[in-house]
Amino acid sequence: MYFSTLGRISLILATGFAVLAIALSIAGALRQHPALVASAKRSVLAVTCFLLLAAASLIISFLIHDFGVSYVAQHSSLSMPWYFTASAFNGGQEGSLLFWALMLSIFSAIFIFTSKRAPTALVPYVMATLMAIEIFFLIMLTSVSNPFARLPVPPANGVGLNPLLMDTGMLVHPPMLLMGYMSFSIPFAFAVAAMITGQLGSEWLRAIRRWTLAAWTIQTTGLLLGAWWAYHVLGWGGYWGWDPVENAALLPWLTATAFLHSTMVQERRGMLKVWNLSLVILSFALSIFGTFEVRSGIISSVHSFAYSAVGGFFLAFLAIIIVFSIALFIFRLPRLRSEQEFDSPISREGSFLLNNFLLLGVTFATLWGTLFPLLSRAFTRQMQTVGPPFYKQVNGPILLVLLLAMGVGPLLAWRRTSTRALWRNLTLPALAAALCAAVLPLLGVRDIWANVAFAVCAFTAGAILYEVWRGVRVRHKHGEAYPIALFMLINRYRQRYGGYIVHLGLALLAVGVIGSQFFQTQKDAILKPGQSISLSGYQFIYFGNIDEKYPDVEIITSQLQIWHNGQLQQYIYPARQFYPNFGNQPASQISITTYNLIDFYVFLANWNGLSQATIRVFVNPLVTFVWIGGLLMLFGGLICWWPERRKRRKQTIPEESTILNEKDVPTMMPVLEWGARATARVAPILHDVQQPARQGRVAPRGRPGNISKEASS
Amino acid sequence: MQTALNASIEEQQPQTRRKRRLPISFMLGGLAILGAVIYLVIANTQATSVYYMTVPELRSCANCTTQAVRVAGVVQAGSVVNDDAHQLVRFTIADGGQSLQVAYSGIVPDIFRPGITVVVEGLYAGRGPFQAQTLLAKCPSKFQSATPGK
Repeated sequence: MYFSTLGRISLILATGFAVLAIALSIAGALRQHPALVASAKRSVLAVTCFLLLAAASLIISFLIHDFGVSYVAQHSSLSMPWYFTASAFNGGQEGSLLFWALMLSIFSAIFIFTSKRAPTALVPYVMATLMAIEIFFLIMLTSVSNPFARLPVPPANGVGLNPLLMDTGMLVHPPMLLMGYMSFSIPFAFAVAAMITGQLGSEWLRAIRRWTLAAWTIQTTGLLLGAWWAYHVLGWGGYWGWDPVENAALLPWLTATAFLHSTMVQERRGMLKVWNLSLVILSFALSIFGTFEVRSGIISSVHSFAYSAVGGFFLAFLAIIIVFSIALFIFRLPRLRSEQEFDSPISREGSFLLNNFLLLGVTFATLWGTLFPLLSRAFTRQMQTVGPPFYKQVNGPILLVLLLAMGVGPLLAWRRTSTRALWRNLTLPALAAALCAAVLPLLGVRDIWANVAFAVCAFTAGAILYEVWRGVRVRHKHGEAYPIALFMLINRYRQRYGGYIVHLGLALLAVGVIGSQFFQTQKDAILKPGQSISLSGYQFIYFGNIDEKYPDVEIITSQLQIWHNGQLQQYIYPARQFYPNFGNQPASQISITTYNLIDFYVFLANWNGLSQATIRVFVNPLVTFVWIGGLLMLFGGLICWWPERRKRRKQTIPEESTILNEKDVPTMMPVLEWGARATARVAPILHDVQQPARQGRVAPRGRPGNISKEASS
Repeated sequence: MQTALNASIEEQQPQTRRKRRLPISFMLGGLAILGAVIYLVIANTQATSVYYMTVPELRSCANCTTQAVRVAGVVQAGSVVNDDAHQLVRFTIADGGQSLQVAYSGIVPDIFRPGITVVVEGLYAGRGPFQAQTLLAKCPSKFQSATPGK
């Protein structure tokens, strides 16, 4: 017996248990029979076990080089190092679908182990939805996209993996994106469960916030790794090309970001219910669209993909999701009425709404650009495409406004804000922006839009840092040293300050993007030993090539020196590698050296013998900020996501206070000010920390209906 | 500040009367953003869209001398001529039974070689080689085995 047979049997058994899990959980929910639901949970765990077994069989088939398995023969070879061999498991279409299914089952298992915290009535329906998605993938894995299909005659050696993809970035980047796509299923499952049961209060939203945060963080990691890989391997000097495949990964990220903001409006004020449900469903639909698009071949991309029958399956699945969700929506519309009304646009909820409109604007524009070839062919019979300039000119301005809103938004109070208080809080950030706009032209930034964009970044970063500083200062007055005050502040209000860290990261990332978009320069030269190129005050002297031959790879390396102000800075070695198994397709080793935040990106484009090379140098200012900002965003996402310690929560919050979970406190500060009763329940220091930010706020008139529970009772 | 005032006047009205779910200021703001996004999308689509043609379609193209087009095709074996002194490369692409000569100046992508599919973008005068301003090679992905056409 082969391991592939074991894998195939596991997949079939997993399908069986998934069907069983759906039947048991729906029966359990309808008859309100906890024992049935408990059996359903065990069935889901069985699905997880069998998928783990299937994945293990495939990995073992790779590691023992069982080229009788067609998938193994196509994606590995004897000469590949073991870690690339094992990671090739999720490299092809069949394996990537298996990876999707495996991750979904693992996340389902995690959901089951944490399901005590979720609203009980929702649990069976969440399981049923997750398993329905799982069955879709299992059907494909057992029919049209079978990773365990065997060849009649096993080849002696496999084809191997494309050398461009044999990079450590590639080990983690595709699995991260697949995991990101997959992780939007759990919020979707909750949304479906909430609609079926009619429990459309804010409980289900609270339950999925951490799941969505996890999905967001995973997707952010995937996008950043993709950008990093493109920058360090592809040799075109950039990190984001607005390619359909990249866009597909960005779309669910944008809608999830929108959801993470608008969900706060529903939690605090019971509004935007329809909107939030739509965003959850849209994120999942877009993540399926992303998984589908890259496999269908419907959109012409510089990435090319195998055309296969899988595309049709995905399209059908996408249609089912959309029709099913819309039907549920119409069924539940009467229960989705807002509990309260909007008061003033200059309020926290107003800024969240603005944020949502802008994010959806970017989503729409990106989707439009991605689908434009199809749309134009359908309507004008002539295919047209839009490229990076389209995205830059449309998304650039929208994102700039979004960045500005990001600075103002957190300073606004719920319901309404007095303009006087707002101006007072905005003075310092506005000064920072003005200073930035005034100083930059002196440093050589003459482009007016670049200057405006940098000023907006300065404004937003200033507003965030000022807000953090005020919090720290208050704690400091209570006797904490500054570093401890900062740590305690973040540790205590993770949602709020985690969010600020994400915003700060995005502002830094924007600085990097603006720098490299507006000020990238490039120069090509054919050099003989002793000749040089000069760029931005740096001189690159060429010395010749080195040719190394190994059994499976040949490496041509150029040797250059970088000089600045008459001083030798360092040697650099841009190189090309050739893999004979791949028709001598070269892969690049790009040399990136950073001086004063300017990346010198040196690429060996061509060569002739040992004493001539075509060198392309890109000067990319500020790209370092893209990576620092990205890391900061991940860090912030993790802080938001990080679980609270249960024990402490019990100590701080008296039991009768059902609405005041500690993690909700920071963003509920205006609520706390409604009555001393609520304020007194929380540690006094909370009040002190938040008070300066809110002072001068006009006391809202009307009934204090912020707390949805109190208002509805 | 007109908007804020409107909102507060509304609130002073008796509680029994149902307020509009979305005040007018929100609607206006939303419409303004919607309008701006649609304007940006339409204007930039018109300004930056490029015809994507097959080689036979290009042959009968009337306005390709002034408007850039994209053409995809497979690089023909033995057709690639490098002129290193001017960083110029000439080659022939074929698609739909017809072939097209292409001239491109610049650095060719890593994986450029006969047999792969490339997308060229540029102007076409109707005769002579296609003057490509950009040359994109279809980048192999992990989802496909390395042999093209499979």
